Amino acid sequence: MQYQNLIVFLIACILAMLLVVLLGAKKLHERRERLAHSHDHSHEDPCHGHSGHGHGFGKLKHDHSSGVFSIDYYAYISAMRGWNPAFKVFFSLLVLILCILFNSIYVSLFVLITMGFLIVYRGKIPFHQYFSTLTIPIVFVIVGSITIAIGFSREPMGEYNLHLFFFYIYTSKESLMKMANLMLKAMGAVSALYLMTLSTPSGEIISVMRKVHVPKLFVELMSMIYRYIFVIMETQRKMKDSAESRLGYVDFKTAVKSFSGTASNLLVVSLKKANAYYDALISRGYNGELLFLERKKALDAEQILLGCSYILLMCGVFFACRIPPVV
Amino acid sequence: MTKRQKRLFLLMCVLLGAFAVSPVSYGMHIMEGYLPVTMSVCWFAVCIPFWVLGFNSIKKNVEAHGKSISILAISGAFIFVLSSLKIPSVTGSCSHMTGTGLAAILFGPTAVSILGVIVLLFQAILLAHGGLTTLGANTFSMAIAGPIVSWLIYKGLDKAGVKKGVSVFFAAAIGDLFTYCVTAFQLAIAYPSQDGGVAASLVKFLGVFAPTQVPLAVVEGLLTSAIILGLESYASSELTDIGFLNGSQKA
Repeated sequence: MQYQNLIVFLIACILAMLLVVLLGAKKLHERRERLAHSHDHSHEDPCHGHSGHGHGFGKLKHDHSSGVFSIDYYAYISAMRGWNPAFKVFFSLLVLILCILFNSIYVSLFVLITMGFLIVYRGKIPFHQYFSTLTIPIVFVIVGSITIAIGFSREPMGEYNLHLFFFYIYTSKESLMKMANLMLKAMGAVSALYLMTLSTPSGEIISVMRKVHVPKLFVELMSMIYRYIFVIMETQRKMKDSAESRLGYVDFKTAVKSFSGTASNLLVVSLKKANAYYDALISRGYNGELLFLERKKALDAEQILLGCSYILLMCGVFFACRIPPVV
Repeated sequence: MTKRQKRLFLLMCVLLGAFAVSPVSYGMHIMEGYLPVTMSVCWFAVCIPFWVLGFNSIKKNVEAHGKSISILAISGAFIFVLSSLKIPSVTGSCSHMTGTGLAAILFGPTAVSILGVIVLLFQAILLAHGGLTTLGANTFSMAIAGPIVSWLIYKGLDKAGVKKGVSVFFAAAIGDLFTYCVTAFQLAIAYPSQDGGVAASLVKFLGVFAPTQVPLAVVEGLLTSAIILGLESYASSELTDIGFLNGSQKA
């Protein structure tokens, strides 16, 4: 290993973390006071009724294996929720794209560690929760990356060969390095994405999309779909509970029958609801555009400073640790 | 190769085998950061004509009947919920439907290209399945290529006079398999193997994902045909809303 690179990398990590901690400390006092004054933060949330379901889901079922909406739940309770949403979206997109573009092990590790730190320390997301969210794509990472690293052939071709009766599985140091690089790059990218999704509720992401002039109809559909998801999920849960209590999932054949019955009934019930919702919208003067009252979240100096210096540090790590990229 | 290296290597292969046969649900979403930038951009570019087509057809629909925006939205939410549900499986492990076949048969391939990209966006944001940079690639495999194949097969078999249940089964199952082939192809051209090129890499990816995806496609076909038959038998009035029974496939 190149020790110089390692040292540069470690210094950059420590600098980034210090930055996060110091900038946070300055603001912490102020924020505590503000929070004490206005603890009814649910008011600023235009889709309070529906997100309420999300909260319930998150609270009831914490682990990602069963809780479908734990990410949504943590986006609402994140301590970084007061940050300017456009800043969060663009910052995490920029970090994400740079992480993929740089394609360097050190940058990926840097992003993975510091983004995790930012989310856990500033966002106050419990570490084990963050970690279990990180493991969602783990199966894809393992299967996909090992598949890239190994090869099959009749003759031993690589540096490492494994003889399995008819053929060899082989790999080489180079492809193992490539695999490690890819795994870290993907995990780094995922943690940059989590900075956005674990601190910004979908409603705010959609409003950022509206501001950058994504077609109106598309944004409209998105905000409606987001709300309907929770309604349908709730209906489905009730149907499933009643089917289950009548032994509807006792064996495979019955389960297939109950599942498809539930699904087709769900669509019927949902379509009926769609009609009712449209009538409700029209009666309130809907003319093709849903506009929500949003609380202004100012972009303050702390965020700009953090964003700029983080990107600079990232570039610094990249140029300082320039090992020949493993393509 | 030392003994330790050999052991590690063996462990890696066992790990791969173990994960490959454990039916994993969202296995076919290419995860965030997994494709190089050029590939991501290319797949976005490939999707654009389909998005424009879909967007225009939806726009025309909404302008003609205002109500259809609500119906479209609820359909999108329905696809999302359906794809997030655990489906019954023999082993008791958890797997999920893709819902592409059902969506294509119900709403037609043009509308699905837009509904699909929204569903995939929410899957990335809310469930961390798939990603933003890989959105183009995932949209192409799951919301464009798969649904088009499903829809063509459904229409073709229907014209040939095959029973509805059977044609829906084949449409959904083959659409699912096609989605899986397209994803394997996308991964293969992004990461060609060193000595066999894209073709060898494609074989590797197809092989690794096959134990999960082939049984899943069959289950998906069974479920989709049961859902469609269920809908037909007691929801014909609602289905006319989405233009299913009229023969006009536009949502």
